[in-house]
Amino acid sequence: MALLEIRNLHAEVDGEEILKGIDLSLDTGEVHAIMGPNGSGKSTLAKVIAGDPGYEVTDGEVLLDGNNVLEMEPEERAREGMFLGFQYPVEIPGVSNTYFLKAAANAIRKHRGEPEVDAAQFLKHVRERMQLVQMDESLLKRPVNTGFSGGEKKRNEIFQMAVLEPRLAILDETDSGLDIDALRTVSHGVNALRSPERSFLLITHYQRLLNYIVPDTVHVMVDGRIVKSGDKQLAIELEESGYSLFEEGSAA
Amino acid sequence: MMEAVAEPKSVYLQDFQARDRSAEPAWWETRREAAMQRFEAAGFPTRKVEAWKQTRLGNVTQEHFRPAPAPGSLGGAAEQRLAVVDDAVRIVLVDGILDTGRSDLERLPDGLRVRTLAAALQEDGGVAEQHLARHADAEPHPFLALNTAFTTEGTVIEVTSGAAPEQAIELVNIMTADSAGVASWPRVLIHGATSSEFTVVQRHEGADGAAYLTAPVTEVIAEANCNVRLFHYVDEGDSGSHLGVIHATLDRDAQLYAHAMHAGGQRVRNDIYVNLDGPGASATLNGLYLVHNGQFSDIHTWVRHNADHCSSRQLVKGVLEGKSESVFDGLIQVAKGAQKTDAEQENRNLLLSPKGLAHSNPRLEIYADDVKCGHGSTVGQLDEAAVFYMRTRGVSEEEARGVLTFAFANEMLDDMPLASLQTYEREALISLLPGEETVRKLL
Repeated sequence: MALLEIRNLHAEVDGEEILKGIDLSLDTGEVHAIMGPNGSGKSTLAKVIAGDPGYEVTDGEVLLDGNNVLEMEPEERAREGMFLGFQYPVEIPGVSNTYFLKAAANAIRKHRGEPEVDAAQFLKHVRERMQLVQMDESLLKRPVNTGFSGGEKKRNEIFQMAVLEPRLAILDETDSGLDIDALRTVSHGVNALRSPERSFLLITHYQRLLNYIVPDTVHVMVDGRIVKSGDKQLAIELEESGYSLFEEGSAA
Repeated sequence: MMEAVAEPKSVYLQDFQARDRSAEPAWWETRREAAMQRFEAAGFPTRKVEAWKQTRLGNVTQEHFRPAPAPGSLGGAAEQRLAVVDDAVRIVLVDGILDTGRSDLERLPDGLRVRTLAAALQEDGGVAEQHLARHADAEPHPFLALNTAFTTEGTVIEVTSGAAPEQAIELVNIMTADSAGVASWPRVLIHGATSSEFTVVQRHEGADGAAYLTAPVTEVIAEANCNVRLFHYVDEGDSGSHLGVIHATLDRDAQLYAHAMHAGGQRVRNDIYVNLDGPGASATLNGLYLVHNGQFSDIHTWVRHNADHCSSRQLVKGVLEGKSESVFDGLIQVAKGAQKTDAEQENRNLLLSPKGLAHSNPRLEIYADDVKCGHGSTVGQLDEAAVFYMRTRGVSEEEARGVLTFAFANEMLDDMPLASLQTYEREALISLLPGEETVRKLL
């Protein structure tokens, strides 16, 4: 059974249909990339899977381990092992990174029936994970994302993912706007977390990311539908030909 | 003329004329008479009076509140909260009546003199005669006038030149469950001599269920280079009304740090007047109101730059829960000639429910030309993107809202210089929040 199974997913925002029937199957341990032009619905797909209440699902199913995710609150999805790395990470003034992560880790542990994290052990775990993304330790005490640079925010997303160890990580344009050094760091963090027990869904606008994180499967999304799927070679072809090949009217 | 004669006397004037005045000095009686006349001439404000148009006085103006014949009994919870500030000089009023047993005026440090109002009134040419009701009473405020007319209980604090007592002075005002219909008129006079430095904490707390009125007035006179820290904490009962005044007059280079928190009460209004009368004086006013469902909270500030090179900072935040209402009305007035004024004012409100109503009225009156004045005001709800962000990390919606609300309000408590009071106020904030348990763990 696939870890994530999406069947005929339709979703809209303010009455406008954005997702027009998505089918996707992601097995445990796999990395899939979704590419597509602006406005194709890539980010909407990420948010709908994570449960953003701003979107309305009008048809279809999203299953995690065979369980219907659409009936779960966003926090339940997270506790079931789902993680969404935001395209635009939100600033939370007044709540320090460490406290926030501890609350998140404890919420997940409680859901699994495990005891709360031991403060000292948790700090050790956090420090190890910071090194993965070469994040400065001073950022731990700072309020979540507040006053962070664009690159620091994206690193912080990967850092949070590394601490929370999800089964399914959906990374929404984590590479956008990163300089090459930051991209390498972020990619290193993701690659280090690849494992047979963990799956990734990478949403990206740029093929460049896939030079650093090599996907098992690439999907091309245009106008709310997945129009083609293939191996990493597809991404390279896309880089050369552009999306126009797949866009309406020119497909023939 | 005939109509004026025929006009009925207010119940308060009748009370005023009927009271025993034998023990009071003549100068005080004169000031009381003047105050009573001011009240009688203006009466209680209607909604047509600009400064009171948004204040929900409700039936406060119809009820006839009288001083308690004897203090009621404290509940166990109130008993536990008598002493909050560590190692403080303490005066306790219960239902507006001095409780000598619970007060602690022993061990006064050098340079600090704390007396009851009654004792200070007996001193010829003393600080009371020089200052009491000679500053605040310039303001046209009905409850201030009534306080001057009726106060019998209060505290007079004097700090001598250059003294910096480490002990804070904690004035505790408790209204008991037996205080229905009771009026409490506590009066505090604070005189800081040149270059003195000290901290005064005032707490007003009341039991639920009793419809009482407390109308405290605090008059602060800060001489040159004096540094006053003033904390004001209000958590009245759910039927209690609190209509208070803090009035500070600052001479040159004097500094005032005032911190007010409204944590509860059916209706709470505080008017904070600051007269920056000498060059280089500065004032910081920090305020936080947490307004529960069905309650009303109001902070009026009146900051007057009357001399050059003065600065003022006002930051007031509000959190409104359920169907509640708040007012922030803030004046910055810069007199002609008060050049190089540096004044800022900000009011930010967070509505936790669409039924909350927050009024925010900045008022700037600037008559000098070389000044820096800024103001800002916002009324908003929690950032839904931040709520969703937290939820995708496994934090429940309720907890996310609690944490974000805490973070918003806690900014006002974060750098409070008095740790014991900070803990106390933070606890009051947390107990109001959804997802209380998680927020507590985050600290």
